[in-house]
Amino acid sequence: MSLKYGLLGLLVEEPLHGYEVKNRFEAMLGGTWEVNIGQVYTTLQRLERDGLVRPAGERGDRGKLLYEISDSGRKALNEWLAQPESGPQELREDIYVKLLLAARLANGDLGPLLSRQKRAYLQRLRDLNQLEARAKKDGRTDLARLVRGALLHTEADIKWIDELSETGISGESE
Amino acid sequence: MSELVRLSDITKVYQGGVTGAVNGVSLTVEEGEFTAVMGPSGSGKSTLLNLIAGLDRPTSGSVSVAGSDLGRMSEAALARFRRDRVGFVFQFFHLLPNLTALENVLIPAQLKSTTSAEASGRELLDQLGIAEVADRYPAKLSGGQQQRVAIARALINKPSLLLADEPTGALDTRSGDQVMELLMELHRSGQTILLVTHDAKLATRYAARVISVLDGKIVDDARLETAERAAADVIRVRGEEARP
Repeated sequence: MSLKYGLLGLLVEEPLHGYEVKNRFEAMLGGTWEVNIGQVYTTLQRLERDGLVRPAGERGDRGKLLYEISDSGRKALNEWLAQPESGPQELREDIYVKLLLAARLANGDLGPLLSRQKRAYLQRLRDLNQLEARAKKDGRTDLARLVRGALLHTEADIKWIDELSETGISGESE
Repeated sequence: MSELVRLSDITKVYQGGVTGAVNGVSLTVEEGEFTAVMGPSGSGKSTLLNLIAGLDRPTSGSVSVAGSDLGRMSEAALARFRRDRVGFVFQFFHLLPNLTALENVLIPAQLKSTTSAEASGRELLDQLGIAEVADRYPAKLSGGQQQRVAIARALINKPSLLLADEPTGALDTRSGDQVMELLMELHRSGQTILLVTHDAKLATRYAARVISVLDGKIVDDARLETAERAAADVIRVRGEEARP
């Protein structure tokens, strides 16, 4: 979904070719999301099918097509922007499943698992700190904000690990 | 690098309570390292710092700093050790209110020698970016300025070891960042620093070594990789992907 609206949002600024919109999207995300060009074209075609963008003029150099946003595209974009994120929280990392499984298999001794995980989170925090500093240095306050969010998430992950270590959770599910 | 601090099987028991106790800690710190000691309140992290600083003596085990065994020192020798070899920065600055910034900075130097250290004091304040407040009293300084005065005071005798216990704890984010950047600059010029904090963001931002303390024990001693990584290797932002 965010690719769809990301592309749509960039077309608000000016009409763009597929490649341009891909490059701008990746630049906006500061290298944290690399998009396949095929995926960009598929998405643009679907947006066109739904009437949210339309070709601006004829095919130009080497058959490149310029896309512009339509009125219903703007409306759809504004609705999306106004919509808070209210779905269930997604816990995509393996650690959540590892934790549940290790509690069953390792007789509740999660110590080694937790301390290895904490170390990985500390390293991630350090990397994020460097990324934040770099973003600030490059004048990318928008990216620095994104990284800040990731930093605080990782801090919460560490607090969670610490809490599990402190309470010495057992393997019992009751 | 040579070894600057060695704790061997340190235990510290406090009468009437377990808070802050230390239980069987061994640890070495190399010269030039920037190490963070992290843990919740009452975990014993500040106790460790006080033992290394010679502010407190362990119940058992030995502490040696720069080759000297603190346990063998008399109270007077220990006081000289603290004055000459260790610099302290605390959360609440601990400046004397009836002395100016410069006079505060000069206290440890005056305790050490009769030669005036005023020129070095002013130079330090200048390096820390607060030359203009030298003659002001602490009450007229912001928190960030007071902490910088405290850092200058900690450095005036060129200590082997700079100890900082939650140095940004009483500061707003911006002043806190400035204080930490100053510590980082000192580290780059070779200063060994031991930072105590409960803040993992802060610890990992400045220290390449993070020691986690829990219930008076070291539960982890992580040396982090410092090489810069590409953004995509650190964060991936990804929504629901378009179906092919």
